[in-house]
Amino acid sequence: MHATASNAVPKTDRAIEAGRNATDARNDRLFGWVLKACALLVLVTLIGAALSTLWLGRDAFATFGWGFLTSDAWDPGNNQFGALVPVMGTITTAVIALVFAVPVSFGIALFLTEIAPDWLRGPVSSAIELLAGIPSIIYGMWGLFIFAPFVAEHIKPWLMNNFSADPPDGQVSWLVQHVPWIAKFFSSEYPFFGAGVLTAGLVLAVMIIPFISSVMREVFQTVPTRLKESAYALGSSTWEVVWDIVVPYTRTAVIGGIFLGLGRALGETMAVAFVLGNTFKFTPSILETGSSIASTIANQFGEAEGLQKSALMALAFLLFVVTFIVLLIARLMLRRLATKEGR
Amino acid sequence: MSASLYTTRRIKNIVAMAFSILATAVGLLFLAWILWETLSQGIAGLKPQLFTKITAYREEGGLANAMVGSLILNVLGILIATPIGVAAGTWLAEYSLRSRLGPTIRFLNDILLSAPSIVLGLFVYTVIVLPSKWLTNGDVTFSGIAGGIALALIALPVIVRTTDEMLRLVPGTLREAALSLGVPQWKLTMQILIRAARSGIVTGVLLALARISGETAPLLFTAFGNNFMTFNPIDKMPSLPQVIYEYTKDPSPDINTLAWAGAFVLTMFVLALSLIARFVFSRSKVSHD
Amino acid sequence: MTNMNEVASQPGFGTSPHASGVDLGQVPAKMTVRDVNFHYGDFHAIKNIAMDVPEKKVTAIIGPSGCGKSTLLRIFNRIYAIYPNLRASGEIILDGENILDPKYSLNRLRSKVGMVFQKPVPFPMTIFENVAYGIRHHEKLSRSEMESRVEQALRGAALWDEVKDKLKQSALGLSGGQQQRLCIARGIALKPEVLLLDEPTSALDPIATSRIEQLVEELKKDFTIVIVTHNMQQAARCSDMTAFMYMGELIEFDRTEKIFTKPDKKQTEDYITGRFG
Repeated sequence: MHATASNAVPKTDRAIEAGRNATDARNDRLFGWVLKACALLVLVTLIGAALSTLWLGRDAFATFGWGFLTSDAWDPGNNQFGALVPVMGTITTAVIALVFAVPVSFGIALFLTEIAPDWLRGPVSSAIELLAGIPSIIYGMWGLFIFAPFVAEHIKPWLMNNFSADPPDGQVSWLVQHVPWIAKFFSSEYPFFGAGVLTAGLVLAVMIIPFISSVMREVFQTVPTRLKESAYALGSSTWEVVWDIVVPYTRTAVIGGIFLGLGRALGETMAVAFVLGNTFKFTPSILETGSSIASTIANQFGEAEGLQKSALMALAFLLFVVTFIVLLIARLMLRRLATKEGR
Repeated sequence: MSASLYTTRRIKNIVAMAFSILATAVGLLFLAWILWETLSQGIAGLKPQLFTKITAYREEGGLANAMVGSLILNVLGILIATPIGVAAGTWLAEYSLRSRLGPTIRFLNDILLSAPSIVLGLFVYTVIVLPSKWLTNGDVTFSGIAGGIALALIALPVIVRTTDEMLRLVPGTLREAALSLGVPQWKLTMQILIRAARSGIVTGVLLALARISGETAPLLFTAFGNNFMTFNPIDKMPSLPQVIYEYTKDPSPDINTLAWAGAFVLTMFVLALSLIARFVFSRSKVSHD
Repeated sequence: MTNMNEVASQPGFGTSPHASGVDLGQVPAKMTVRDVNFHYGDFHAIKNIAMDVPEKKVTAIIGPSGCGKSTLLRIFNRIYAIYPNLRASGEIILDGENILDPKYSLNRLRSKVGMVFQKPVPFPMTIFENVAYGIRHHEKLSRSEMESRVEQALRGAALWDEVKDKLKQSALGLSGGQQQRLCIARGIALKPEVLLLDEPTSALDPIATSRIEQLVEELKKDFTIVIVTHNMQQAARCSDMTAFMYMGELIEFDRTEKIFTKPDKKQTEDYITGRFG
């Protein structure tokens, strides 16, 4: 080695080298373009999804104008279509899901970051994440065959006895006598029928708990230990540390996580397709059946023709725009945390 | 005075702790409930013909064609999404440093990750199913290819994100070391960086596979379904989730039982995939050190 | 950063020396550095450096953390160019050509100037492939030529005896010191003329460190070596020339013996004697 390296250094000829430089540069450029084109597909998919549904939904938008958003008619027989019932159903089920999922997720995240002993954290968080891995169609089946009868048998009678104007036990509750408007939200035409807006919302809640709790757990873990330790050093209890230090420190990201769960709930199809009932009567009651955008599309697209198909596409466009905005807010809020972490 | 303050604080703390434990118990309870029903109802419906007979025989049949169809659709989806996703993730991690487009696409990819899959299905319906109908005078409408593309669009953001994240974990010194040997960037990327991040990327592909194998909604308007066995990707193609969907809606309890059996098979498959993904990922951590 | 600028702007502090006055002991200069400046965005990291790197000698660059010693080294093979917002200006003449000239081919530069980094960075491949990888890009060799070339490089890095029976195994299984010698083998396999070592032993234990230092002693028979180190004893032990840098400026550059016994500048003396840094 010592003898050879110094004298015999077979450097390639200048011309060959220039050729190689050019080849390298060309290949690098080409490679970069191919990669960039693939990355742009992400953009194309998002824009394409919006434009294609808008394009195929143009007939519905043109026929009904703004009335499409405000009309509660969904009548394929008479070619009358309005988005109000599915839109309301989508929003109501998602809100119900959040009402239940947010506190539970917060509790789980709190348990996993502050309370559980170390040996329990791994298994419990894996189990919760397992919940996220179950296909949504399984939630739908479980909802239809198991959970809806459970609601009909145990939850709905209790709610109606206490909050509806037409309780199965015949005794109108004190609350309904004094605050009659509350009964509007708890009326039910078929008291023994488990499907409905509330049931769908609860199934969705179970579905989004793992998403929200894992985001919360992750953001809680970003709170610097020294911050928590200084609070503990002052004699704070676990709860006080969480409520006064952890939550304010992570507030934006926690809200981001909630919006992420909301985005999931709004766009979910299969978990709610069976338990919503797929009716198009406008009602404020959460014990009545209803429909959501996604479940309407899934149920009707196969047989739909003409204006109905266009109306379904228009619904899909609305869904896409709304979830896009919700997810945009979610990601913006989560991103602020990432900057705070200095990533 | 201070004693009562302490008491209030302690009670508050105990209530919060109790709530937190209760919440975790509720979460775990639902998991156990869903898994238990899938297991018990599914195993009750398990029989050999599930894997040998096709759905055309209804109660007397099985789900063989649906399982084969699912396999083909998933493989198509992964085959399409993996090269594109890895390439896009590589661009984000390695090439977008000087570009403002990079952060934008990374951000939008995160949105695509949770976008409603049903709308992505309709997108593929519009750009693949409708044109193929016009181009072939109605001979080809719904197809396995269309289903595979729809699944690919769902898998894509998962693969993009993991590739991007894994490549960004590769230490910068590895890049410098290769470049200081005069290796061009494309070789560095293909031969060193992707190899270094390999097991992380494989994890991403497995997670994407787990995700798409449970997808139902987008397949309704793309692969559509088929009661017979088919291996032809331009045919209408059945899939396990889609058959479960149809069989769940069916009024016949025998058909419902088949749906549960299918649900059992599907759930086991998806959970096994996520376990394997975890295993691959934990191994990748070891080899990095 | 502001603090540094304040100190640097104090009168009489860090005036640029000119290397032309330094006695190189009749050794021809391999690299001639003139007026080299370097910016990270708005930060002026390297200021008017001028020095002559002697051929087939070991030149050490020392100085406190953040003084720009690694940055200077990274200009010598333009590895900085892979990051945005970094700019170098001035001249570095290697064999009569300015390597900072954008027209100077990177392929050519990197085959002439090899680099070894702080932490060992084996590629995720076999030991053999690690060494062969770089060669393949610059030369087309037959199988047997390649094998002898790899062996030569591994012998040159004093690693051959330890790995000759496991060339097909992953390089990630080697110890830290072995990995670093593998990286040196990878660098010298290209038969460069200059070898840059960026704190090559900072991640190694004392035994591995002394092996690398012995190796540096051997390697200078064939290569011009520039080593950046935060370890003054190391610079004293294995270099012929030493450059002391402080806040982006070259304070003093002279024979190692002189720097460590009777430096001209007060700052150098303060640093050597441990009064700061």
